[in-house]
Amino acid sequence: MTHKTQSLRDTRHKDTSPVLVWWAGGLAIGVVLILAVALVQPIGVSAQYVVLDGVLLHHVLPDVASGSPYLAKTAQGWTLATYEFFFVLGIPLGALMAAMATSRFATRVVPTEWNQRFGSNPGNRLVWSFVGGFLLLFGARVGGGCTSGHMISGVSQLAVSSLVFSLALFASAIVTARWMYGDWGKR
Amino acid sequence: MMLWLGLMLGAAFGAALQLSGASSHTAIIRALRLKDLTIIKLIMTAIGVGLIGVHLLDLSGWANMKVKDLYLPGLIVAGLIFGVGFAVSGYCPGTALVAAAEGKPDAWVTVLGGMIGALVFAFMFPDLETLLFSFGQYGPVTIHELLGIQGALLALPLGGFCLWLAAKLPGSGGA
Repeated sequence: MTHKTQSLRDTRHKDTSPVLVWWAGGLAIGVVLILAVALVQPIGVSAQYVVLDGVLLHHVLPDVASGSPYLAKTAQGWTLATYEFFFVLGIPLGALMAAMATSRFATRVVPTEWNQRFGSNPGNRLVWSFVGGFLLLFGARVGGGCTSGHMISGVSQLAVSSLVFSLALFASAIVTARWMYGDWGKR
Repeated sequence: MMLWLGLMLGAAFGAALQLSGASSHTAIIRALRLKDLTIIKLIMTAIGVGLIGVHLLDLSGWANMKVKDLYLPGLIVAGLIFGVGFAVSGYCPGTALVAAAEGKPDAWVTVLGGMIGALVFAFMFPDLETLLFSFGQYGPVTIHELLGIQGALLALPLGGFCLWLAAKLPGSGGA
């Protein structure tokens, strides 16, 4: 991709800083969506968490896995050799290559914002990261999609379902974040 | 062939998310706290480009559309739960994979929590199905179908509006 890269290193953020400005990053994501829609289908991530669950569980406890109609339907054929799974597999690969290529592979357990509010205890952050992940995928599966499938792909197709999900998502996320970080009642 | 295509497109998506800083916990949380809307500008740009591009493809007959079913109140409950997870973790299911690949251990745990959450949902599904999906089912409806117009007629101006809004919203990073 030939987007003009501007180094926009924001020193306030200890997290990995962006290399692409917002419009270049948004354009890149939009172009990937357009390519995917032209060549195969809109993009989606969250269903593949179920597929991986199903295939792993089917490997160890085949009867338990087959006993769930939802797993059997989502992880059809108990295989990871699908376009959909490989798309999701590509995400960390591309991210790793991008981080390496720009020397931005960096590790930290407790992010800056979290540290300022909840302290530097890594155990605390990890427990809540787990809880957050649980809620993310539980919610995504109730809704049949996540930020990729609903917000990026779905809204681009003018799907009413995706608009409803995205509005509920942002309302809930903003209220939760402002409450967690103590923003209510002060400017 | 399809597997390679999937891997390539996925890698391009992962690289775009990584390079644009969408996997940064700080950037996400500051956006949700309404302190720095850079991530919102990014998302609005992606949606604006997507709206215009996807519907231009559709006009040419090249788009492989896949619209998800509308079911109320299930989708609202889903969005509310997802939103709490988004604020608590600071990641979404895709950006957690990106942050995990960048070497962020809290994102590894988010991915693990996600796998467990998806598994619990899978086994609760028969019960949840009757609770959430038994009424308010409308199928894969789109806004332009409801209005009875061609998709591009709405998508092009709306896409333009998203891009305009992305440019107008305040952000940290200048540009």
